[in-house]
Amino acid sequence: MEREFICIICPNGCRIKVEYEGTNIKNIQGDECPKGKDYVKNEITNPLRVFTGSVLVENGDFSLVSVKTSVPIPKKYLKKIGEITRWIKVDAPVEISQVVASNLLGEKVDLMATRKIKKINSLLS
Amino acid sequence: MKATKNHYDAVIIGGGMVGCAIARELSRYKISVAVLEKEDDVSWGTSCRNSGVVHAGFNNRPGTLMAKFCVEGNKSFAELCLQLDVPYKKMGKLVVAKKKEEIKDLQKLKQQGDANGVDNLQIIDYSEVKRLEPNIEGIAALYSPETAITSPYLLTIALAENALNNGVSFFLNTRVESITRLNNSHFKIITNRGEFTSSYVINSAGLYADKIARMAGTEKYHLYPCRGEYHILDKNVSRLISRPIYPVTSPSSQWLGVHLTPTIDGNILIGPSNEYIKSKDNLSVTSSVMKMLSAEAGEFLPLISPGYTIRSYSGIRAKQSPSSEGGFWDFVIEESDMIDNFINLIGIESPGLTAAQPIAKRVVEIINKKERLNSNPQFNPFRKGILRFDEQGEETKIALIRQDPNYGEIVCRCEKVTKKEILEAINNPLGARSLISIKYRTRAMMGRCQGGYCQTRIMEILRESFKLGPKELTLKGNDSYLLTGYRSSEVSK
Amino acid sequence: MPEKEVIIIGGGAAGLAAAVACQQKGVEDILLIERGAYLGGILNQCIHDGFGLEKFHTSLSGPEYAQRYVDHIKEKEIPFLLNSMVVNLTPQKEVIVVNNNGLTHYRARVIILAMGCRERTRGAISIPGARPSGIYTAGVAQELINLKNYMVGQKIVVLGSGDVGLIMVRRLILEGAEVIMVAEKLPYSSGLPRNINQCLNDFDIPLLLSHTVVDIEGNGRLSGVTIAQLGPRGGIIPGTRRKIACDTLLLSVGLIPENELSREAGIVLDNITGGPQVDERGQTSIPGIFACGNVLQVHDIVDNVSLEAEYILEGVAEYLEGKLSQEQEIKVEIGEGLRYVVPQTLISQKDTIFSFRVNQPGEKKILIFEDGKKVIKKKSLRRVNPAEMVRVKLSSSELEEIKTLKVKLV
Repeated sequence: MEREFICIICPNGCRIKVEYEGTNIKNIQGDECPKGKDYVKNEITNPLRVFTGSVLVENGDFSLVSVKTSVPIPKKYLKKIGEITRWIKVDAPVEISQVVASNLLGEKVDLMATRKIKKINSLLS
Repeated sequence: MKATKNHYDAVIIGGGMVGCAIARELSRYKISVAVLEKEDDVSWGTSCRNSGVVHAGFNNRPGTLMAKFCVEGNKSFAELCLQLDVPYKKMGKLVVAKKKEEIKDLQKLKQQGDANGVDNLQIIDYSEVKRLEPNIEGIAALYSPETAITSPYLLTIALAENALNNGVSFFLNTRVESITRLNNSHFKIITNRGEFTSSYVINSAGLYADKIARMAGTEKYHLYPCRGEYHILDKNVSRLISRPIYPVTSPSSQWLGVHLTPTIDGNILIGPSNEYIKSKDNLSVTSSVMKMLSAEAGEFLPLISPGYTIRSYSGIRAKQSPSSEGGFWDFVIEESDMIDNFINLIGIESPGLTAAQPIAKRVVEIINKKERLNSNPQFNPFRKGILRFDEQGEETKIALIRQDPNYGEIVCRCEKVTKKEILEAINNPLGARSLISIKYRTRAMMGRCQGGYCQTRIMEILRESFKLGPKELTLKGNDSYLLTGYRSSEVSK
Repeated sequence: MPEKEVIIIGGGAAGLAAAVACQQKGVEDILLIERGAYLGGILNQCIHDGFGLEKFHTSLSGPEYAQRYVDHIKEKEIPFLLNSMVVNLTPQKEVIVVNNNGLTHYRARVIILAMGCRERTRGAISIPGARPSGIYTAGVAQELINLKNYMVGQKIVVLGSGDVGLIMVRRLILEGAEVIMVAEKLPYSSGLPRNINQCLNDFDIPLLLSHTVVDIEGNGRLSGVTIAQLGPRGGIIPGTRRKIACDTLLLSVGLIPENELSREAGIVLDNITGGPQVDERGQTSIPGIFACGNVLQVHDIVDNVSLEAEYILEGVAEYLEGKLSQEQEIKVEIGEGLRYVVPQTLISQKDTIFSFRVNQPGEKKILIFEDGKKVIKKKSLRRVNPAEMVRVKLSSSELEEIKTLKVKLV
């Protein structure tokens, strides 16, 4: 089977053609760097993505803090992680890269904050 | 919901320009009045969807109510707007002839105008047209200095607020379901929000006046919807014309043709079209008409291109005959022959805006003939609108911010509307709470980004002011919810 | 009237980078003016990653990218105003600012325009039909979901394959909504290929090219749209109309540089980019007024916005030192294959970075710079796409002694 992938590692978006059978890769063409090769290998055997979303914050100057997974996770878990993030609440203040949830789905994947949130003393939050 | 029994001397069905004008006129007297309006706010029928022109009266057939009330209304309009703090600009109007054959129609229009008592009409030649309007193509024109423009929705809101202030009750989101006459003395009006009884019913339900008339068992009127679509142009091209520019139409025609009108806010409007449609609710804009409007406008103003359109909208006229029949139909403003004290207003199309106050006075006359109305000594004709920060001089702006820092927060970037104005609009005396109600009262969301920057801010201010949950916010009342849907977690729960 | 050396209008990606670059060049008397409640502009709502790959060699989310600049600004105590709207800009480089404290006039030796852009609206593309609630531009939906924690709707149709829309498709799906399809009126996508991949293909969302929305239904809330296929000249192909039930329509139909202030000041704008015409120093038609970022030309990668802001600081510094001289004025002409080029004029022969967008997608193209018949430079481009800005540097030796300059893509 042959398939063309658009690599997402960097903005170049190289088009990489792969010949494969099942998870057995026969030929790769069009990659311009080793990351691209790794990317398509993964796409065929175990596609990974970084999940980005947001979780609720209590007592912060924003009601949401944007988060991302510490490492790319299997693509098939994206929606599930999306659901889980909605349940998570974290207290302000929050620093960038702070872990707001760990060991998601039993894997060694953390959810890290990607925004700085200040604490505010407000009765209305 | 408990049924509430409310009795009023007069119930006005329909909170459009005419209904609110009648409410205000009646509030000059000691008589209890209620206005029942089915939408979330006043003016949302045809009243907010027209060109906003205060006509001089040369388009109307002599001897008709339309002619009489238009000329009367035009002459007292400046004062009305002054009392109600509503914008008004007497910029005059040109009816432009592009072909030689049209010049005799110009003369006929002038004669008609003279017969109706319109002042100062003149036929002007090419060089004068060019002097007044350098960008317009035309060989001659009828110049009507008495024509003016106003804001039709601000005027309706102002009439309503002044009426409210003078004792009239307004019931929004209130749709009439049945009307019965009790013992030949009272009317019982059942609505979706309770019952009312009244001695008089004034049917100013616009497009649905025929339905209301039938509900009560009065004469069988039939109204046919005729839609007019408009384009609003970016303010960057506003300098292209200085006053309304109309094409030549025959003096007997009730459609005034596709025209170019500056709005009181400084945009140019192109329109309206004239299309009989099936449904009275169909306010859509259609691509074929949009193309036609651009083409027609381009004939007068070659510098216009479709790229300048920031928005399109439409309004529906209440025509008294179908398109196949046509013919001329004057305003119907009369007490029903079949049911006492039931006053019908049928077919109030152009010049309905200009004629609103005289029409209202005619309704008062009808009631006055039946029973002596006593003056209300507390009546106050004056009403103050929302102060527009952007229109003030610099010293005033500085003073305003000092007095209230909410004047210093600009929420609508395109139209420079401040938080203070938004708050005043949100806290309007009529209690209208949708995004569109705020838009009409402040101009926010009417600029070139159409709410891209301010919409979310206005939603927050609305939420804060009334402690509303996000799912309660609406665009225009009823079920026009802004934020629906649920997040995955909410489903799982 | 207080006079500053540099006033920067806009505290988003471009303004932040300009402020930092100013300070690094030794300019101290800076004032950064931002209308929102926080710095960072649109970056604050771009919670997806992919930012900073070129600038910081790592993949950051929007807020993280912005924070790097905000940290620097706070650390170096670069003055800025929040919740402050510039309501007027004059050709004499005066601004009027309105905020809770009052109305203030400022004058500056240099003004840097960094106001960003706005989204194209439904009204501007004249979609016929009813006026229900539930129609949002993608950026507004992004703000509502990512910053306000509101869900906009449940069954979504997206019109336009611009990046903002594509990103929102993924976001909505991960938030539990159903995205039915993306319709794009052009025969090719307007977004980056990586976004088509990550946001559509990953979730099996159909992308219908050469399709558009031709009607909208719904009295209160949106109840459905009608889509139709377009022929090669943009007309509707008969028999292809199809109704789709949905409750939300997201529009991602283009970004327009926000140049109202520029227009009021009389700055000459480029009709195609929508932004000011500039020379290679980033200077507009008014000496001392510079422009960078989305207000100058709509960018697709924020790293380039920062690089552009840093780049124009060369010109700003020269201007402040009185060394910005106009040695020539060569108009950069565009030939076939290109939609626009920035800068539009060259006033010197220094190293210059040119930014372009091509007219159509293509492969194995060559970008040619010519002075009359003489070819100054050729650059091979493996793959080009209107959605991806091309940036090419020409050195001062390559630009030496040119009398004219034309660029084309073959």
